[in-house]
Amino acid sequence: MTGNFTEDGAVAWRRADGTWARQIAEAGLFVDEPTAKAAATRAAAQEQREICDPYGIEVHAEGGAIDPLTARQRIRANGPTIRLRRPDGER
Amino acid sequence: MYQYDDYDRRIIVERAQQFRGQVARRLTGEITEEEFKPLRLQNGLYMQLHAYMLRVAIPYGLLSSTQVRKLAHIARTYDRGYGHLTTRQNIQYNWPKLTDVPAILDELASVEMHAVQTSGNCVRNITADHFAGIARDELEDPRPYCEILRQWSTFHPEFAHLPRKFKIAMTGAPGNDRAAVRFHDIGVRIVENAQGERGFEVLVGGGMGRTPLIGEVIREFLPKPHLLSYIESILRVYNLHGRRDNKYKARIKILVSALGIDEFRRRVDEDWEASRTPALELPDAEVARVSAFFAPPPYQVLPADDQVGVIQLGRDRVLGNWVSNNVDAHKVPGYSAVVISVKQPGIPPGDVSDTQLDAIADIADRYSFGHVVVTHTQNLVLPDVRTSELPRLHAELRALDLGEANANKITDVITCPGLDYCDLANARSIPLSLEIAARFDRVDYLNDVGDVSIKISGCINACGHHHVGNIGILGIDKRGEEFYQLMLGGSPGNDASIGKILGRALAQDEIVDAVEKVLDRYLEIRESPDERFLDAVRRVGFDPFKVAVYGSADPLDAGGD
Ligand code: SF4
Repeated sequence: MTGNFTEDGAVAWRRADGTWARQIAEAGLFVDEPTAKAAATRAAAQEQREICDPYGIEVHAEGGAIDPLTARQRIRANGPTIRLRRPDGER
Repeated sequence: MYQYDDYDRRIIVERAQQFRGQVARRLTGEITEEEFKPLRLQNGLYMQLHAYMLRVAIPYGLLSSTQVRKLAHIARTYDRGYGHLTTRQNIQYNWPKLTDVPAILDELASVEMHAVQTSGNCVRNITADHFAGIARDELEDPRPYCEILRQWSTFHPEFAHLPRKFKIAMTGAPGNDRAAVRFHDIGVRIVENAQGERGFEVLVGGGMGRTPLIGEVIREFLPKPHLLSYIESILRVYNLHGRRDNKYKARIKILVSALGIDEFRRRVDEDWEASRTPALELPDAEVARVSAFFAPPPYQVLPADDQVGVIQLGRDRVLGNWVSNNVDAHKVPGYSAVVISVKQPGIPPGDVSDTQLDAIADIADRYSFGHVVVTHTQNLVLPDVRTSELPRLHAELRALDLGEANANKITDVITCPGLDYCDLANARSIPLSLEIAARFDRVDYLNDVGDVSIKISGCINACGHHHVGNIGILGIDKRGEEFYQLMLGGSPGNDASIGKILGRALAQDEIVDAVEKVLDRYLEIRESPDERFLDAVRRVGFDPFKVAVYGSADPLDAGGD
């Protein structure tokens, strides 16, 4: 399950314990759609202060690695594919 | 340039204060994202794939050096050290934190800037010819009228919730449209009638996006005092009758084509006759007051000799080439308009760093009366440079990596943010643009191919203007993977046309090869080096290019998509 952090808009991934991480590697997995949908509804209601617009995505998970199935979600997980003017992103 | 009066200042400062309160309520959870979204959008704040994005309005693209320094400061202090020039002559920041946005809006307000109406279903930033006020082929400077329209449209209560966004562009050079006025909801051209009076030709219903259409003339000659009342009537008819049930059919172009231009004109005229009041007439004194802000800078009287030609033919080939490609004629003898290319190899098109912005501000002060213009092609213009200073200026720009000699050439690609940033994207745009820049970065090839525009959009919304690229590229999604349609034959100018799809969509590793094949075929078939790419495409049609790209002109091989 993913969304964006309210505070800075960064991509957010929901851990299995219901907290939110910045790395997809920490994301919890759902094995069926109804459970995922229920969790999304719950998150949208209860975690709305911290997270904007949570929703579930499909991933391929193997050996601890989580790989989204679409180009869009792969780019969300890994960041822009091009060089940034200040790549470190810290200030 | 225009200076805010007390009223302008007050409404912008108040708006920033209101937004500070709204952000605070969002951060405490007092309002939900659903409630907050329309508020943030009214202040130019989007949520993109990886972060918020703040789009800052630059009316008709004109900036003072003080504003440029402020933009640099914001990039450095609140973002990741760069801003991105957009195809609406604006700048956007890709990484602001919500917690910082109120401070950014305060900073902007301190230099008479803001982010209102850069999003949402309202009248957006009004764009203009980037050579406004200096072009030799200009009849009259359109910026005073753009400014009047800006003031009229800012927070106009009747038009705060239109069926869809609304874009207006204006040119004062009717013979050479550099502002793509035919592809706007309303396009305005300053023209002269048979009696030699100046007025406006008004076009309506143009646009790109899902349904690209060329605007049609709704009024051939509108006397100047009626600018606001007439445009208000167009907007009122659209506001009442534009579709609100389907956002893909909500732009004014759909209404105009559904009703037909004659019926649309009849309704506008009917409203205009009923609603015209003296209050909306533009008094000469007000036009004169606003025009005074755009008075020419104190030019020196210089000889009208051909220094540009001398530099072009001089021994410094790099300089000569840059002057040939990036320097344009100025209406004042001894001065030139300089296009600073923000299309450098390896850097996303239109991305400009904080240090570059600071340096550009200094350069503008020293060379161009402190003014800079953002172009809709994602470059910058120094409008008023003394021709004799071009060599020195070029050396300074090169030291900043801003000396590329590629204005209007194939590596001067208009590129939307695409799937690297944009929430609506189907496919990436920037990597294609970088690949094109790397592949064709050869001076001789660039000059041989000549003026060819390549424009790339990551989705059908067409922010990258792909419909009007001589070569247009559109990203599409095929089962979650990125594909691209190749289009040929578009043009945004006086010879406006909409590009057509060449054949089946191409994979990411095929698309730049296809562009090269198209260009190589053009070089083979052109009648002479003077025949532009666009003219060659119009003369021979698509078959030779289909053969070049797909190996066959047979529609089954070239495919449809
Ligand atoms: S064209 Fe599409 S992908 Fe590109 S910036 Fe516009 S909305 Fe985003």
